Order: sequence, then C-alpha cells, then structure tokens
Amino acid sequence: MDGTLGLLGGIHGGADGGGGGDGGGVPSCGSILTNSKEDDTMNDQDMLAEVSSSYPVDDDLELGLGLRIGGGGSNAIQEGSRILRPNSCSSSSSSSSVNITNSSIAGFKKSAIDSVSPPNAASVVGWPPIRRAHRMPILANRIKSERKEYSSRAKSYLSVKVNMDGTLIGRKVDLNAHNSYETLARTLENMFYGRLSNTETIGRSRLLSGTSEFVLTYEDKDGDCMLVGDVPWQMFVSSVKRLRILRSPKSRNCI
Amino acid sequence: MAYSFPEEVLEHVFSFISSEKDRNAVSLVCKSWYEMERWCRRRIFVGNCYAVNPKIMIRRFPEVKSIELKGKPHFADFNLVPEGWGGYVYPWIVEIARGYPCLEEIRLKRMVVTDESLELISKSFKNFKVLVLSSCEGFSTDGLAAIAANCRNLRVLELRECEVEDLSGHWLSHFPDSCTSLESLNIACLLSEVSFSALERLVARSPNLKTLRLNRNVPLEKLSTLLQLAPQLVEFGTGVYSAEIRSDVYASLTEAFSGCKNLKGLSGFWEVIPAYLPAFYSVCSRLTTLNLSYATAQSPELTKIVSQCHNLQRLLVLDYIEDTGLNALALSCKDLQELRVFPSDPFVADANVLLTEQGLVSVSEGCPKLQSVLYFCRQMSNSALITIANNRPNLTCFRLCILEPRAPDYVTFEPLDAGFGAIVENCKQLRRLSMSGLLTDRVFEHIGTHGKKLDMLSVAFAGESDLGLHHVLSGCDSLRKLEIRDCPFGDKALLANASKLETMRSLWMSSCGVSFGACKLLGEKMPGLNVEVIDERENLDSLHESCPVEKLYIYRTVAGQRFDMPDFVRTMGKDGGGGVPIKC
Repeated sequence: MDGTLGLLGGIHGGADGGGGGDGGGVPSCGSILTNSKEDDTMNDQDMLAEVSSSYPVDDDLELGLGLRIGGGGSNAIQEGSRILRPNSCSSSSSSSSVNITNSSIAGFKKSAIDSVSPPNAASVVGWPPIRRAHRMPILANRIKSERKEYSSRAKSYLSVKVNMDGTLIGRKVDLNAHNSYETLARTLENMFYGRLSNTETIGRSRLLSGTSEFVLTYEDKDGDCMLVGDVPWQMFVSSVKRLRILRSPKSRNCI
Repeated sequence: MAYSFPEEVLEHVFSFISSEKDRNAVSLVCKSWYEMERWCRRRIFVGNCYAVNPKIMIRRFPEVKSIELKGKPHFADFNLVPEGWGGYVYPWIVEIARGYPCLEEIRLKRMVVTDESLELISKSFKNFKVLVLSSCEGFSTDGLAAIAANCRNLRVLELRECEVEDLSGHWLSHFPDSCTSLESLNIACLLSEVSFSALERLVARSPNLKTLRLNRNVPLEKLSTLLQLAPQLVEFGTGVYSAEIRSDVYASLTEAFSGCKNLKGLSGFWEVIPAYLPAFYSVCSRLTTLNLSYATAQSPELTKIVSQCHNLQRLLVLDYIEDTGLNALALSCKDLQELRVFPSDPFVADANVLLTEQGLVSVSEGCPKLQSVLYFCRQMSNSALITIANNRPNLTCFRLCILEPRAPDYVTFEPLDAGFGAIVENCKQLRRLSMSGLLTDRVFEHIGTHGKKLDMLSVAFAGESDLGLHHVLSGCDSLRKLEIRDCPFGDKALLANASKLETMRSLWMSSCGVSFGACKLLGEKMPGLNVEVIDERENLDSLHESCPVEKLYIYRTVAGQRFDMPDFVRTMGKDGGGGVPIKC
C-alpha cells in the first residue's frame, strides 16, 4: 500500500485549517535560528532540493515543506507554520521556497541570544527527564547538604584538651586545623617539647610509631580510652572527646 | 528440491539461536522451519503488550518458558503518561496461566501489576523461577507475600524501581524454611522496613544467593551481618550508608567487605557518611559495576573511590563527582563502557557543582571502550560534542540532557546542530540518541542522513518545522522507537510517512502540533496501527478537527484496538469513528 501519497488526498483542506490550535500544549518556539550568519540562502535551497529529489512529489501532495513551488503549497506553509510558530520566518514565503533573508537572520540572531528564555526547567512537566527513583533522593540531599554546610561552618574550630602524664597543666589543640594523624602528633610533640623525647624531627612521629616512651591515646564518646591511629582520621575527629599522652604500657594499664 | 536434516538435528541447531531477531528470521525460511522453530521457541519478548494478543502468541508458540512484556511508553517514566492509561498485565497472566503451565520466567516493564496478578502467578506455574518487575506499579506487599509463599523454587525476585504499596515488612517471612533456591533478591525500591530477622534467615539458608539489593531501611550496622552470611555475593546493594560513627561498626564492615571475594557490583549508598566509605575500598579493584547515583558524597571522596576501581565497566554517579572526578575516572578506568551522570539538583539554575562538558570530554578521551553515555549537565558546546564524536566513534548510546530546554552552545550561542550532527555522523553504530539544547531542523537532516542504525530517538524542545520530522522518518532506516515532546511538528510529515510507522514499534508525540483530524485520518487509513489520542484537557468527543491533540501514541499492532482505555484516550479511526472506549 502506498501509504504516503494516496493518503494525503483528503487532508488538503482539513489539517491546515485555521491557526485554531491553541497556546496550551504548544510552547512558543519563538526565536529559533536555523542558520548562523555565515550561511546564506543557498543552503536552504540545497536542503530543499535534496529533499525534493529523494522524495517523490505528487501533485496531490500537500506537504508544505517547501517542495511545492508556488501555488497552493505556500499557503499551506504559512498556515501550518502559523499554528506552530508565531514568529516563524515563513512570512516571507509568499514566493517559491522558504527563504531566510539576511535581515531576518540578523533579527533572529539577536533575539536568539536575548530571549532564549524557554520554559523554566522547574515548571515543565516531566523535565528534566529523571525517573522517580532518582528524583526523591535529590530533594532529601539538598536539605541534607544545606544542613551539613551549616553545621560544618559552626564546627570550624574543634578544640580538645590534651593532658600528659606527669604534667599538671594541660593544653588545647584544634583538631580541625589538621587533616592527618601525622600533623597532629607533630603539633603535640612541639607543644610538649622537651618532655616527650629528644625528638628528631625527621621520620614519623615517635608518638605514633610506638618508639617513644609515651603513647598517644584519646577518650571517645563512650568514655573509653583508645589508642590513636586505628580508625580513619575523619572518624577519629567525630568521636574524640579529649586526648591523653600516657607513659608506655609497661608503666600504665590503660590500654 | 530441498534436502533437509532430520528434525532433531535442526532442533538442536536452533537451540543455539537465542536472539529474537535471528529466531524470527529462521521462521521465515520455509514452512517446515517455521513449524519446527515455533515448537522449540522458549523465550518470547513482547515490546508492546498491546501489539499482540496473548492467545495468538500461545497458539503459535506452545512451549514457552520465559516471557518478557513491556507496557507503557518510555515517557511514562517522566510522568507524561496519565495514570490509568493502561498497561494492565492481568489479562495476560490469565491467558498464559492457561497456556503455559510450565512457564518459569516472567519479566515485566512499565506495567500495572495487581496483587491479584501476583497471586495468580504464584499459583499457576509449578516450576516458577524468575520474577523481574521493572518500573511497575499497582501491587502491594501482599502480592509479594503470595509469591514468597507459593513459589517453591523461586530463584529470582527483583523489584526495580517499582511503586509498591508497603502494607507490612513481614511478607519476607512468607518464604518457607524449605526455600533455599534464591539466587537474586532485589528489594531496593521498597520504602518501609522489612523484618530483618526474616531477611537474615533467608540469606542464611540461600547458599546460591548471588545478588542482594537491600532497601534504604536496612541499617548500616547490620550490613556486616548479612555480608558474613553471604560472602559469595557477586552483586550487593547497601541500604542507607550512614550511621553514628563507631569504630567497631566500621571495623566489622571493613572485614565483612573484604571477605566478599566475588563482589563485582555495588549499589545503594543512600545518604552517605564519608567516614564509612573506606570500608569497601578493599573490593574496589574487583568492581565492574558501581552505582553511586544516590550517594551524597562529594568530589574528593568520589574521586578517591573511582581511582581505585581499575576494572570498572559501568559507573552511575551524581554530578557531585565534578570534572575533577571524571578526569580521575578517565585516568584510572580504562575498561569503562558505560557512564551515567545524574543531576544532584536539577531544579536550580546554578548548582554548586563544577560539572561541565569538560568532564565528558575527558572521559571520551581517556576511556577507549566507552559505548554508552547518559549525561546531565548545564552547558554544552558544539566543539565539545565534535571532540567527543571524534574521540569515540564506537558510541552506541548517547543521551545528553542539558537541563535548560533550548540552551544554545554556551560559547557561540549557536544551535547544537553541528555537535549532534558530528555524533551521528562519526558514531556509525549509534543505536540510541537523546538530544537536548537548542536544535533546528538541521540536526534532523544530519540524523536522517547518517543515523542509519538508529533504533531509538528521543527529542524535546527541538526543531522548527515538519521538515525535521520528515528527515527522521524518511531517513532513519532502523528506527523503531521515536518519542517527541514539545516540538513544532504537525500533520504533514506524519501523514507523508504513514507507512513508515508500520515498520516501527511506536511513536510518541506530546505537546506538538498534530491535529485531531490528522489522527483520525491516520487511524482510518492504517488498520495496522493503533492511533491513540490522549487528551485530559478536552472532552475528546467535542474536539475540533483542526485542534492539536495533547498527546499522541501510535503503535503497530496485530491485536486490533484495545478496550481497556480510560475516557481520556481514544483509538482513532476504528469502528468507523473515534473509537469509543469501554470503561474498565
């Protein structure tokens, strides 16, 4: 069955009928520009020629794609366009083919830049195309990340007490100023310099490596005394309440 | 005169042919092959449940073991198909319960599945093994309880992104103690809590369990228990990945993960607490699939993870990964085949994430096996697209969503025709394409000229005239699914290419300019098509000929028009009129 050509006998009058349509479901496609400034009208004609040669033209055919030269065709173009695109360029198509003149190119280009104000993404149904499963977490995450931001700003200074065996006066250290155990240990060694060891500053902190006579411990949320260094840094920071530098296990039974 | 092999030999040969397309080709060779083939076909795939009648199917293929059905059109995923449109599976279940008592597998996508249907399934097939429901709705945990209780040899129960009415978490307890055959359990989409002890016992008595995807409510602290019971898991989906930070929980989780030597795929990760992420580092180097698309981790953490996944083939992630993370991905994951980047905050104009077109360009440069892309971003340029096309001519699936409709090339302000044109021209094996941004009829010309292998095309807010649609319908030889929204396409191209529609599975057009009269004409002239007009705004009985319809869904069918439509859907041109539906 020649489903294409024979079919269209009937629609000549019908489908093109009034610009009735509506504004409702059809968005204003406004100022969409086909060609950049460099393109000239030759391109359109090439395009049309290509289409018309690949597609058999029937006299009854009412495609309105610019295949028909003159006659009723152009009316169809205008009508069809008017339904869909109020600002279409086919206002100039009273003659043969859909022609974009240079002036209208310039005009369109300007408005293309100014007024690409398509429907706001947030107000269009089903846009952006994200499945429901991915939509719900999004809102939850937004709330969460706002909360996180707020709370991390509030916690920008996290200081804990540090006490050392044999020293009456404790110190305080800001944990958020560090991002690893190494730097923390060095800071502590500096704070209690002279009391910890005759420290070489090269190599790993002796506090952490277990070669010092002292050991670095902390008290966690549950009140337990734990060895520093076992868990990832972030986890440590979230659970530490205070630090203690103790003499090595031979002399203390804390650990 | 043809000499032929004895039937048994041919049957044996046919048993190696599994693809539907090949099987269909085999059945066209001659009558005897048709006969032989139809008796030994074991799997049926019905891409549109309204395209064929189950009775016809059962008559032709009497010994089927596995059925896959799809219902609603793809755009239903984005709320474009009104509720009540259709896609009911019950009538199918009734027929196949009668016709295929030995059926073993049912896979459904985008269908309305009721508890009744589930119950019928559970009671009708004595050897039922596999139930996979993707994007389905209409059932509750009661239906699941029936499946659990009655399917003695159940191996696979997967609920992928379904909407389930959660009446009780105790449906899991309906699996009898004698059920030890479970290989795959996916309950990720369930919203309420399942009974953990029932879950634990089920996992403990399922030695063949390879896939376990939990829902959000399974707490992080309990994960290690499950992992220790099932160290043979290949695919695992966590619940919420957050808990109060405790080193004992961390330690046992780490140990549990490292005990899973076969783990290849991870998913879940709702609400991530970064401190717990290192717990699964030990499995990273073995992972081939990683789904972090719900994970609220930031770029540094995500980068750290992907940098360790040297065998990764498939990554789903939020745009939190940012360009830097994608650069790391490009450096570390040379086996990457599929990348999906989802937007963390799609409804604001300016997100705080530094994800641009550059990330995608990097991955296209660094990952030679990249075939499939789904990318949400806020800006794109023709030059980036052209670079991607040049880097990766082996792309088979390219879906780009620029969040703002009709956004032009952000550098030149031109339409993105050239960029997408380069994609279709260079990627000669491209089967699936989704476009966005500012696009004129030009891009459709490129698609019609070069997209010869294109199977599915999704278009939104694009084009200028019917010429665009015409290019696609007349040029894309392999096109089977076309879905269009908010484009200025009217009657002409559609009517001029009416016979093309019979070679396709379906065409969806919403918020375009196709008139009611054209739909009527199409429906009348093309008996092999169902032309469904979907319009909730207007009373369809009083719609004027020239009025554009809200939504249009055209699909080829040998089943004739359907009778389960709501009143806002009409099948045009059948029964000499507008096709009045019977309310069901």
